[in-house]
Amino acid sequence: MTETALEAIGISKRFGGVQAVADLSFAVPAGSITALIGPNGAGKTTVFNLVTNLFLPDAGEVRFYGDSLRDRTPGEIAALGLLRTFQTARIFPGMTALENLLAGAHRQVHFGAAWQMLWLPPALREEASLRRRGEALLDLVGLSRFRDVAATSLPMGAQKLVEVCRAVMAGPRLLLLDEPAAGLNDTETAELAALLRAVRDIGIPILVVEHNMSLVMNVADQVIVLDLGHLLARGTPLEIQHDRRVIDAYLGVEQEAV
Amino acid sequence: MDQFAQIIVGGVLQGGVFAIVALGITLVYRVTGIINLVQGGFCILGALCLYSFQSDLGWPLPLAFLAAVVATTALGALLGAATFVPALARLPNSSMLMLTAGLLTFINGLALVVWGSQPYAVEAFTGEQPVNVLGILVPSQGFWIAGITLIIILGIWYLMTRTTLGKAVVACAENPTAARFMGIDVARLTLFSFALAALIGAIGGAAVAPILSLQFDGGSFFTNAGFIAVALGGMSSLPGAIAGGLFLGIAEQLAAGYVSSLFANGLALALLLATLLWRPQGLFVAGRARRHDVRDELRVARSVIRPGARTVSVAALVLFLFLAALPYLVDPGFMSSLVITLILFIAVLGLDVLMGYAGQVSLGQAGFMALGGYTAAILATNYGVTPLVGTLAGMGLSLICALLLSVVTMQLKGAYLALATLTFGLLIDSLTVGLTGVTGGPSGLVGIPSFALGPFVFATPQEMYYLVLAIIVLLLVILTGGMRSGFGRALQAIRADQTAAAALGINVPRHKMAAFAICAMLASLSGSLFAFDFHFLSPEMVSTPRSFELIAMLVIGGEATLVGGLSGAALITLLPILFQPIALYKTMAEGAILVLAFQYLPDGMLGGLWRLIARSAAATPAIADGTVAERPSS
Repeated sequence: MTETALEAIGISKRFGGVQAVADLSFAVPAGSITALIGPNGAGKTTVFNLVTNLFLPDAGEVRFYGDSLRDRTPGEIAALGLLRTFQTARIFPGMTALENLLAGAHRQVHFGAAWQMLWLPPALREEASLRRRGEALLDLVGLSRFRDVAATSLPMGAQKLVEVCRAVMAGPRLLLLDEPAAGLNDTETAELAALLRAVRDIGIPILVVEHNMSLVMNVADQVIVLDLGHLLARGTPLEIQHDRRVIDAYLGVEQEAV
Repeated sequence: MDQFAQIIVGGVLQGGVFAIVALGITLVYRVTGIINLVQGGFCILGALCLYSFQSDLGWPLPLAFLAAVVATTALGALLGAATFVPALARLPNSSMLMLTAGLLTFINGLALVVWGSQPYAVEAFTGEQPVNVLGILVPSQGFWIAGITLIIILGIWYLMTRTTLGKAVVACAENPTAARFMGIDVARLTLFSFALAALIGAIGGAAVAPILSLQFDGGSFFTNAGFIAVALGGMSSLPGAIAGGLFLGIAEQLAAGYVSSLFANGLALALLLATLLWRPQGLFVAGRARRHDVRDELRVARSVIRPGARTVSVAALVLFLFLAALPYLVDPGFMSSLVITLILFIAVLGLDVLMGYAGQVSLGQAGFMALGGYTAAILATNYGVTPLVGTLAGMGLSLICALLLSVVTMQLKGAYLALATLTFGLLIDSLTVGLTGVTGGPSGLVGIPSFALGPFVFATPQEMYYLVLAIIVLLLVILTGGMRSGFGRALQAIRADQTAAAALGINVPRHKMAAFAICAMLASLSGSLFAFDFHFLSPEMVSTPRSFELIAMLVIGGEATLVGGLSGAALITLLPILFQPIALYKTMAEGAILVLAFQYLPDGMLGGLWRLIARSAAATPAIADGTVAERPSS
């Protein structure tokens, strides 16, 4: 865990009179799952959008394996290997589950349209190997029986899994997940947790923004807690659970409710 | 000076007509975000009804006028309630645009059935004697047109700004979802605006009837003019529509007065194309007056039918053997119709790549057919170039035009590619008619040689049939290779969700451009073969109605299936030939079929067939929404 996949250095963003993110620095080490949590309005989504350049930071910068992400389009960021998913699963309608995964592998395709149209052996071999990878991944998440079924007809939890798998197929160097557990039931959340661990274990680091505490405490190697745009705490799930400031700001409320 | 003033008066009059059509289009666009191409159809119906009530039934002018307006508005409301409003709830904007094109085709066909193809003239309301105003002669009908235009403008202004109903319409335009939450019945309001547009169109059409020669397909003329005016003026602005209409009228009259009437229309279209490319928000609108369009995000939920590899191979082989044997099974007199079917299918194939896979709309496919057809035919006929080289030259020219068109439009969202291609098609239409020295003008180009490859000349329908069949097999192999792999998946991902596609690193503009280039080149190839097959090419063989026909073939046959379009092409080409008595109803049926297919046959005939096969096959998993997929046999 020596290498740093993603590093935010003193990023700030202000919307009118609201300081959404203030001088925030954090790092996502390679080979780990980092969770970004915080109460509503803490600035999680803003951080997510700053990292993917939907907004430009007022100050500071984001580095991806040492490269600055400033002035890069979403397409270029994806090309670097920083892949994101969306809060509501954005599965491609009109395509099967497997085709959704294969669409994710778009950047892995080296033998382009001309090769494919002429049915040349290198393109055919590549297609077959991508297919095998996609099928293996569907197998891993237990969705292989839905391989040739319209992806949008799957239940919500399965769609989320398909979306994460699709991003994994792109061969990312970092996966950014925006509330992947939103709308999932407990079983589906457990399946998602297993998938995230498997993804980490094949060497893809993950930054996940999440509300669901059971998922975060279950899978995260490192937890970053935001409050009102500031870094409140950082540590292992165990440390965070016992951090006085975090309990006061956030978890404390939940514990009283329980 | 006198001539100039005279031209300006003429321009204002004509501009008033355009403005009325434009107002109707803008009204519907404001409420729904749909460019309503049917609007011109209401104008011609109003005008033709006026003629019939006045001349055939002998009714007095005020009664005939009133009856014409009532009849047209009633038909408009009926069409709106039966097609436009229900479809709006389910179809994405691009399909809605083509649905209105289908409605326009339907109205053209209806007018053909009722009134035939001869031209009609309506008497001026108050005599033919022009009025002398300060030395300028103004036709008396001009005062009627000006007065009626003014009344319509004031009426809309009053409705929009002074009544609750108008405020509800504005609310719908600003944000339909929020309007719905406020208790506004959006569907009823949509129907109201659609019927109101029909009313405006009917009044306008009846008012201008005396200064025009009326023919069944006049609706296309009105729609084109109104559409150009709207696009020039700025899509959602009512004053912009009026300004655009007047500007267009004056510009056309000036061009006709000082250059040539043949180029008046071409000039206007070139102007529009330039406007769409460099200032898509319109000439007269400051800043970006974009609708906040939640419908932009509407994603198409298509069913997914994936027959297994073995089924596909067997079906393809059976289809190929059938097509190869067909010349021995049918009457020789029928061969030329089969050749036309196959040639048109090539253009439909291209359209399928762009529309079916990439989800982009081209309303100018016939423009590329014309480009390919005329380039190849002129080179082969007048310059002795071999047909093959001429065909390739046409494809190259089409590729260049497609790339130029797409370079700018691909960056824009929404219906701009559809608008730019429609404009391109109309521009090519007016060029093929106008450049008489090069294209032979309206009477066409004659003496085109047969297609030949070296010493092999394809002169008989049978030879041509096998040539085109071979080309199609080759194209199907190539396109299947592309569409089943990463390229086709990237296009489908773009159709499904551009944002998510871009987030996966798919270069969206480049893929759209590639799809458009393939689409244009196949249309061009089809146009060239068309010319070599007929030994003759005239503008109406490859004009904008043909573009709509190709879309109908694709939608009926089944989008994103490649071969599906063949059944659509066969249906639309062969049915009128098989059943001669229905030939008169061809246009009307085409329009109706297109509209109905969008509403009731979302997967086309081929999709429906696969569904049946898949459903009857055992051990196929059926998923909640009825989508059925066949497991590959491997």
